[in-house]
Amino acid sequence: MANVAKKVSWSGRDRDDDEDGRAGETTPLLNGTGPGAAGSARQLTPSSFLRIGQLSNVDLNEEIHELETELPRQRPNEIPHNEKLLSLKYESLDYDNSENQLFLEEERRINHAAFRTVEIKRWVICAMIGIFTGLVACFIDIVVENLAGLKYRVVKDNIDKFTAKGGLSFSLLLWATLNASVVMVGSVIVAFIEPVAAGSGIPQIKCYLNGVKIPHVVRLKTLVIKVCGVILSVVGGLAVGKEGPMIHSGSVIAAGISQGRSTSLKRDFKIFEYFRRDTEKRDFVSAGAAAGVSAAFGAPVGGVLFSLEEGASFWNQFLTWRIFFASMISTFTLNSVLSVYHGNAWDLSSPGLINFGRFDSEKMGYTIQEIPIFIFMGVVGGILGALFNALNYWLTMFRIRYIHRPCLQVVEAMLVAAVTATVGFVMIYCSRDCQPIQGSSVAYPLQLFCADGEYNSMATAFFNTPEKSVVNLFHDPPGSYNPMTLGMFTLMYFFLACWTYGLTVSAGVFIPSLLIGAAWGRLFGISLSYLTKGSIWADPGKYALMGAAAQLGGIVRMTLSLTVIMMEATGNVTYGFPIMLVLMTAKIVGDYFVEGLYDMHIQLQSVPFLHWEAPVTSHSLTAREVMSTPVTCLRRIERVGTVVDILSDTSSNHNGFPVVESNPDTTQVGWVPLGWPHKGWLQRGTLTHSALLQVAGLRGLILRSQLIVLLKHKVFVERANLNLVQRRLKLKDFRDAYPRFPPIQSIHVSQDERECMIDLSEFMNPSPYTVPQEASLPRVFKLFRALGLRHLVVVDNRNEVVGMVTRKDLARYRLGKEGLEELSLAQT
Amino acid sequence: APPRSLRRVLLPALALLGLAAAAGPPQTPALELAQELAEELWSAGLPGDLPELEPECRSLLAAFAEGSAALTGCLGRRARPVRLCQGCHGPYRRLLAQYGSIARAVGNSSESHNCAKSILTSDRLQIVVTLSEFFNETWEAANCANCLKNNSEGLSNSTEEFLDLFNKSLTCFEHNLQGQAIDLSPNNYTEVCKNCNETYTKLNDLYNRLQRMNRQGGESAHSAHLCIDVEDAMNITRKLWSRTFNCSLPCSDTVPVIAVSSFILFLPIVFYLSSFLHSKQKKRILILPKRIQSNANLVNIQEKYS
Repeated sequence: MANVAKKVSWSGRDRDDDEDGRAGETTPLLNGTGPGAAGSARQLTPSSFLRIGQLSNVDLNEEIHELETELPRQRPNEIPHNEKLLSLKYESLDYDNSENQLFLEEERRINHAAFRTVEIKRWVICAMIGIFTGLVACFIDIVVENLAGLKYRVVKDNIDKFTAKGGLSFSLLLWATLNASVVMVGSVIVAFIEPVAAGSGIPQIKCYLNGVKIPHVVRLKTLVIKVCGVILSVVGGLAVGKEGPMIHSGSVIAAGISQGRSTSLKRDFKIFEYFRRDTEKRDFVSAGAAAGVSAAFGAPVGGVLFSLEEGASFWNQFLTWRIFFASMISTFTLNSVLSVYHGNAWDLSSPGLINFGRFDSEKMGYTIQEIPIFIFMGVVGGILGALFNALNYWLTMFRIRYIHRPCLQVVEAMLVAAVTATVGFVMIYCSRDCQPIQGSSVAYPLQLFCADGEYNSMATAFFNTPEKSVVNLFHDPPGSYNPMTLGMFTLMYFFLACWTYGLTVSAGVFIPSLLIGAAWGRLFGISLSYLTKGSIWADPGKYALMGAAAQLGGIVRMTLSLTVIMMEATGNVTYGFPIMLVLMTAKIVGDYFVEGLYDMHIQLQSVPFLHWEAPVTSHSLTAREVMSTPVTCLRRIERVGTVVDILSDTSSNHNGFPVVESNPDTTQVGWVPLGWPHKGWLQRGTLTHSALLQVAGLRGLILRSQLIVLLKHKVFVERANLNLVQRRLKLKDFRDAYPRFPPIQSIHVSQDERECMIDLSEFMNPSPYTVPQEASLPRVFKLFRALGLRHLVVVDNRNEVVGMVTRKDLARYRLGKEGLEELSLAQT
Repeated sequence: APPRSLRRVLLPALALLGLAAAAGPPQTPALELAQELAEELWSAGLPGDLPELEPECRSLLAAFAEGSAALTGCLGRRARPVRLCQGCHGPYRRLLAQYGSIARAVGNSSESHNCAKSILTSDRLQIVVTLSEFFNETWEAANCANCLKNNSEGLSNSTEEFLDLFNKSLTCFEHNLQGQAIDLSPNNYTEVCKNCNETYTKLNDLYNRLQRMNRQGGESAHSAHLCIDVEDAMNITRKLWSRTFNCSLPCSDTVPVIAVSSFILFLPIVFYLSSFLHSKQKKRILILPKRIQSNANLVNIQEKYS
């Protein structure tokens, strides 16, 4: 029976995630820091009245199943994907240094001067992050400009030709096919090569800075796919922008440079070895994210604040200063390269991929009377943003449930591209809004049915890259668009953008949101000036900007950083106040309905994301209820066979193991399951010791990755005694294996070696953080979140391990609509 | 004769024909004005030993005043239809020279007698500078440099060619309209469209070519425009052609467009329906956590889903 259950579940997993298999080869540490299934090697259960909770179907041993039949059995079943799940796929990052003897020895060896070198290296890395991020931004910008220009010229020539002769349906087909084929390439590389490069990447980076290890998120391969994917999806005419992905790209660049090597390329430059751990890498990744924002919007301060807003739990003053430096370098690099490209070298006035242009003419000022109007726009933005998110939520849910095969995802992306072109074409075809071509700065004026010397006004909005359309909406003189055009455009683009976000292409949501907002904001401004009989202050461009801010704020719900980004992108500090008001209102109104787009997607991906605070009503919960128990422990000097068995036990794929040592005086018989030790372990020749039933005090904590390195280097007591080990293991050996530790399956341990002993005392972290059982959830949460922990051991008053709190145990509790909710764990 | 309404439309356009030959405005009024000005300047000499304008500076100033009057007159007279660059490049060039001689002129050896200083910068208003700036800006905005030769003496070859063609097409319009019967309804200009199509297309193509050449040549946004004369001439012709004569009637093929677009719009519906019906829904396997059963009044997930 157990076998059947096992088979079903595991085959189910294999079938569902074929890319998971690939992930498994390279990132071995998948699955379950914390609560896996029961059936661990030894269970230290402190007292007999405590019973094992529910046992899942992935048990390996029959005995426990027999035992379990007495318990009220709720068969865990397969359920459709929903938002109230936590995936086992995601691991924590080790933001807390393992302070073992090796580490302490190394830190002691480094003298004051050496620390200074490390500090200088940090600055050098930050400068390099800035430079490379800027260069990548330039590359994207230039390639998009040229390819999109080529595409629009081809389509325009075709339309011009067929307008005279008839047969515009061919132009439509040409446009749709061009779009679909370009997007197909972009989607294929994402869906088949690196699915984590899909979307804007901001949710992923947010998770990374929060301390969740998303597989593959900071790989070089991801960067390449991301950059190509963005170019292709923008050129393919989707309702997307290239700004959001810059943040992800910047982060990947940062993670890559700070490690001084590329595992994908198998090149190790032997530099920056000191930074090869999660703690250091995280700091650089936040610098990279800041550099990305800064390159995307020409907003260095906004970039710093973005990193602050998204990853602020681990922060200090020097880090901020360094990050600011990286941001500045990034925008400066972008500036200088683009100025050379555009032919006016060293004119550093084109910061950012998107430049909102200058808002400093006289009529762009605002007065106190306009403040209520801005607030009203914020309300509208909040409502529209909430609508956008709600629609996107349903769509994403449908996509996760039904459109999970890569080929289907590619087909979907192609269809969206074709439909986007079609909608654009039909809108242009039906529009009779003609504007004189003279004195306007339209890049690809499309005449169609307009008189000679005029262009179709709808075409400026649709027949252009979204960035250019935004700038046009901000700056075109009043009267360039008629209200009907803007209204139709807003409506169509709203649904297109909503439909597009979440496709398997790499693309951002910033620009489409700005575009929707700018369109309705301009419409608002026009109607306002109509109502006020053309007052001078009702300049539509200003309202377009406010509308854009409101819409973007309503969708992504960022506050501080978005205000500064918008302020810097417009280059006008006096707009700070109205933009802030608008964003604030939009956030308040939007939060009333649904949460922000990024948070929503994080939740839909079942990521164990820790928010700032524990849920407000969770004070009644204590660590005892939150923790996972029983805990698989190791002894200070452990048999190799046991270690290997524990590590290769797929059902309890733990990553942290408390190291215990029995106190000789307090031997106590624990709860012994029926038929324990059972056949399974006997057959594998790992007879469990009676020691497991003794109560054992906590001595330290050791990670799976450390154990694997130890096994790989065969650091066994017997070999040391025989002088077989050439040298002592150093911290460098652990760093060299970082971040892709080999899976346990790849390590061969012979039958003889299984009988050897392994001494963990040198390698374990002798001072792990612990909490007593009575600590409340908010307290545990605060400790965990503030220190960026991965494992938090729960001990009783005799310092005996009773449980373990990991990220997933804390992330389970969430404030839902009906109060505190508990998420369930699922294999995804 | 063409109908009255048409004549009204055509008048400005046809007026251009006559003007193309005229070299410049009549000189007399401007000269008189300058004379007056000069006399005033002479009489305004300050008494006593107070410093006054050197005689040579006065003459420079008078020349500048004269030149700017001439240029103003020229610009004003050629405002509609726009022929600024063709007609006023002479006065403009002269004015530039006059201004240049003021700015460069050094009077007697002493510093105080510097003409440039006393004329250009010795008061708050600095009218000479303002005037010269105004003319320069107007010239820049009109983008006249674009249709003049490099030494700005006369029109460039491409502009000449364009104006030639422009005159030809206007003549063609006029001819065909005159040839038509008087009673024809104003909306029926098929004759014009048929006969002048060739010239018009040539003109249009030439204009587009000029524009393209211009765009490739200059990088900045400002030089993307052709000079105002050419732009305006093309504008008038295009308006006549497509608004008045209604000649550019594009074929509208609504039916195939609707067919194709509804086909494409239909595809996603098919796609989503089929994937909803045929694709196997992705299931998640719940893993039960190992933890102590608690009495806490939490929503029990297991109960919910069982």
